[in-house]
Amino acid sequence: MSSFHLQVVTMDGLAYDGEAQKIMLRTVDGDVAILARHINYCTAIGMGTAHILMEDGKERKAACIGGMLSVMDNVCRVIPTTWEWQEDIDVSRAEAAKKKAEERLKDTTLSPAAIARAEAKLYRALVRIGTAQK
Amino acid sequence: MAANMKAVKLRIRSVQSTMQITKAMQLVAASKLRKAKEKADSSKPYLNILQSTLIDIAEGNTDFQSCFTKIGKSDKWLFIVVAGDRGLAGGYNSNLLKFAEEEIKGKDVSVLPIGKKSVEYFKRKNVPIFTDEYAEVAKINISDCFGISKLICDAYRAGEFGHVFLCYTNFVSMLSQVPESCSILPLSDFDVTDSDSEEEGKSRNLILYEPDSEAVFNFIVPEYLAGILYTSINISVASELAARRTAMEAATDNAGEMIETLSLYYNRARQASITQEITEIVAGAEA
Repeated sequence: MSSFHLQVVTMDGLAYDGEAQKIMLRTVDGDVAILARHINYCTAIGMGTAHILMEDGKERKAACIGGMLSVMDNVCRVIPTTWEWQEDIDVSRAEAAKKKAEERLKDTTLSPAAIARAEAKLYRALVRIGTAQK
Repeated sequence: MAANMKAVKLRIRSVQSTMQITKAMQLVAASKLRKAKEKADSSKPYLNILQSTLIDIAEGNTDFQSCFTKIGKSDKWLFIVVAGDRGLAGGYNSNLLKFAEEEIKGKDVSVLPIGKKSVEYFKRKNVPIFTDEYAEVAKINISDCFGISKLICDAYRAGEFGHVFLCYTNFVSMLSQVPESCSILPLSDFDVTDSDSEEEGKSRNLILYEPDSEAVFNFIVPEYLAGILYTSINISVASELAARRTAMEAATDNAGEMIETLSLYYNRARQASITQEITEIVAGAEA
């Protein structure tokens, strides 16, 4: 299978820069998979697990939340807000965050903004846990 | 002569204590700098790739549905000026503020100052301030950046201003930090720099947006803004520390030199007074 250039860059630095055969991730509109020679494309990333099929056929997973994905002239750039490789995820921390967020959501007196924040935290924790367990 | 000697001694002591302070500040800045530089280095690729991606998009963008890509209706500018919290950093603050002043000239602006020095400066100049909530640059974290970005996006959507511009200090190397500026919003402002090259028949790339360009930009722009703010603040902080370290190093060196000349002068005066005393005693014995 032919490959394309993939760059994954976050605020904490370059997470991946090299060739890949396929990247599959969840956008705001649902899952997409990018293969080589994709049309020029731009979308916003949702919350989910990203799967990268490396040039050597190995697959790597990562928790991928927010940001954008663009394909320009066969170069795919993923610019997420959060990108954590499966092996780097701190599961116990995510579990703790999940529990804390759930506790907070039980409180019915919260303001809408606080609810949104707690929900976002819960989703982030769920994505991390989901990615780590796959 | 004796009074003069005492004055010189006092002067030496005062220079010595100043030197102690500058030396301590230099060491503090140097150790903080190491961490800040790591942070700035790791966020540099993000800034570069993000900007080049958005330039590609802006060049290829053919439908201007989103308010973030359209040329702004309003002639007002918002300047985000990232300066330091404290002085004693050589020309760091004054260079940046002078640079920002040049850029602002002749435009209808309001300013979002980040860093205490920046807030003070624009208050003194009576430039309208958008918000001074984010005065302390050292305390800004990633969620603050998202807060600022949301504020800007909301105001931008409401048409409070038509252009957003960022001034920060780029960290070129340990010894050189240069004030720089870049246009942030609308995305069509990016085109301005290389409008000549486009006429040479460079075809516009067509881009597929999903679900549609407006929704994509509404998602992306606040994140992009927050990202750019966060990285440029990181780079500015590293620049400030590097500037402070260099300035304090120079101050320490100067203090050392001053002490050297002063002690030379002191020793000369001491010797002269001893010689004079001997001469007086000898003269007294002979008489």
